[in-house]
Amino acid sequence: MEPWNIGAESIIYRLEQWGRIILLKHRPQKPYLLKDIDEFLRTSRTSRECKMLTVARNLGVPTPMVYWIDVHNHSIAMECLQGKQLKQLVAELAADRLQKITREFGKLIGLLHRGGMVHGDPTTSNVIVNPRGNIWLVDFGLAEMNATVEMKGVDLHLMRRAFETTHWDFEAILWSAALDGYRTIHAEETEQVLSRVEEIRERGRYH
Amino acid sequence: MSIICLGIEGTAHSFGAGVVSSDGHVLSNIWDMFSPEEGGIHPREASRHHSDIGPSVIRNAMEEASINNKDIDLVAFSRGPGLGPCLRTTATIARTLSLRLDVPLIGVNHCVAHIEIGCLESGFKDPVTVYVSGGNTQIIAYAGKRYRTFGETLDIAIGNMLDTFGREVGMRFPAGPQIEREASNATNYHQLPYSVKGMDLSYSGMLTAANRLVSEGVSLADACFSVQETAFGMLAEIAERAIAHTKKKELLLTGGVARNNRLTDILSGVAKRHNAAFHRVTPPLAGDQGAMIAWTGILQHEAGDRLSVADSSILPKWRTDEQDIVWRRS
Ligand SMILES: Nc1ncnc2c1ncn2[C@@H]1O[C@H](COP(=O)(O)OP(=O)(O)OP(=O)(O)O)[C@@H](O)[C@H]1O
Repeated sequence: MEPWNIGAESIIYRLEQWGRIILLKHRPQKPYLLKDIDEFLRTSRTSRECKMLTVARNLGVPTPMVYWIDVHNHSIAMECLQGKQLKQLVAELAADRLQKITREFGKLIGLLHRGGMVHGDPTTSNVIVNPRGNIWLVDFGLAEMNATVEMKGVDLHLMRRAFETTHWDFEAILWSAALDGYRTIHAEETEQVLSRVEEIRERGRYH
Repeated sequence: MSIICLGIEGTAHSFGAGVVSSDGHVLSNIWDMFSPEEGGIHPREASRHHSDIGPSVIRNAMEEASINNKDIDLVAFSRGPGLGPCLRTTATIARTLSLRLDVPLIGVNHCVAHIEIGCLESGFKDPVTVYVSGGNTQIIAYAGKRYRTFGETLDIAIGNMLDTFGREVGMRFPAGPQIEREASNATNYHQLPYSVKGMDLSYSGMLTAANRLVSEGVSLADACFSVQETAFGMLAEIAERAIAHTKKKELLLTGGVARNNRLTDILSGVAKRHNAAFHRVTPPLAGDQGAMIAWTGILQHEAGDRLSVADSSILPKWRTDEQDIVWRRS
């Protein structure tokens, strides 16, 4: 089977089953890691991803449907979304459409946060957009529940940095649209989280 | 014709001077590390060290390169980021030299210099760089005229983490080499908190837990082993995420912690999985030293970068992505 994508953690295959295309995400062994650590990560992330995809959907965030999971083989079979990564669309979309989609991205992260979850890797590769402008979030292997203000701040920080490193010409538009969307979800901690983002940004720098 | 640059580095505990020619030859590279009896670096003491030994380090570098004052075409210095007092001392030495020799002064970004000297040594054109040292843990790659930090530590740097752990268990500074030696005698892995967030990581939780392991009676060897495997595993993951994301085909490991052989093995495994070439910068060019400043100074000079003494104030918080990489195309 030819891999469709080789990611940092996983190999993704597309296969046809029962007349529809499904996406098989397999976390392969990493021979260069200590076995204990590798096994722990592959197992915990696979089961976490499966659980979090469902929890997120219950919070109102569109995610691919899970068909089955095989923790022993570190694999999840899920719905293959018909769309493109936001990453590929940024440069080609008209400004107002880009803003609208990015606002929606921010809003979905806001929904997760209000529900106590962080995504863990909120980059534009992990946002799938279909031609009608509907969006989904994918890749929940690093997602966590019981999120603190700090964890949510880090989540937004990661989003901003993804804009900065990958879409440098659009960073300002993307970040402000995402924040707009994030703010539409009113949660107790929203303002605290937003000021924490600034703090985190300074922290990693050289002291 | 080839020009010659004297580069001066002094952002933290090391002071270094290097002489490099514009055809890419490192003619000399001398440094001296301030190593206090105990504790970490005290910025003021380190800067005093730099002003005490600075002139003789520079003299030695020139002697070893067999050059005298009139051979120097350019003076480059580490302008930031780093500790204020150290940067100020280094900048003062560089300005004085530039005025006295009447040659241009170039201000170099320390992190950028680590990447450029690594590219010179490896022949890499466009790598993902893993820069790991006492004060830095960054995954950097070139994109849109800048070196951008794709990932970094959210709290302490890996070298700092290793040294702090080492101090806790009674090792001398820097503790990295001794931790590596101890780890080779281990028999068991003990799980430690593994904290990766996207392309960032965090070491403070792991450090606390590692100290606890030792106080609970886990052998030093096992504790060192567990620290290394966990810390390097996290680093491998974010490096791998950066490679998968940027699709670059070269992986460069640099900084003081690049000396570690286990880390090197892990990262070369990462590179292999993504069909990327791998290079670990050799120790003399991986640590903080003047040759990297000199070489980057040459690149900047050749691209037309100029800095007047009046505008040459230090930049302690100079971010990697704030420097326009004018000498790189595409
Ligand atoms: N259900 C899906 N439908 C369509 N595309 C998807 C789906 N799931 C993932 N993708 C695409 O494949 C890419 C890789 O998947 P994913 O991010 O889950 O893998 P990964 O190896 O965990 O990635 P990372 O490199 O972030 O660790 C995603 O960024 C996304 O663009």
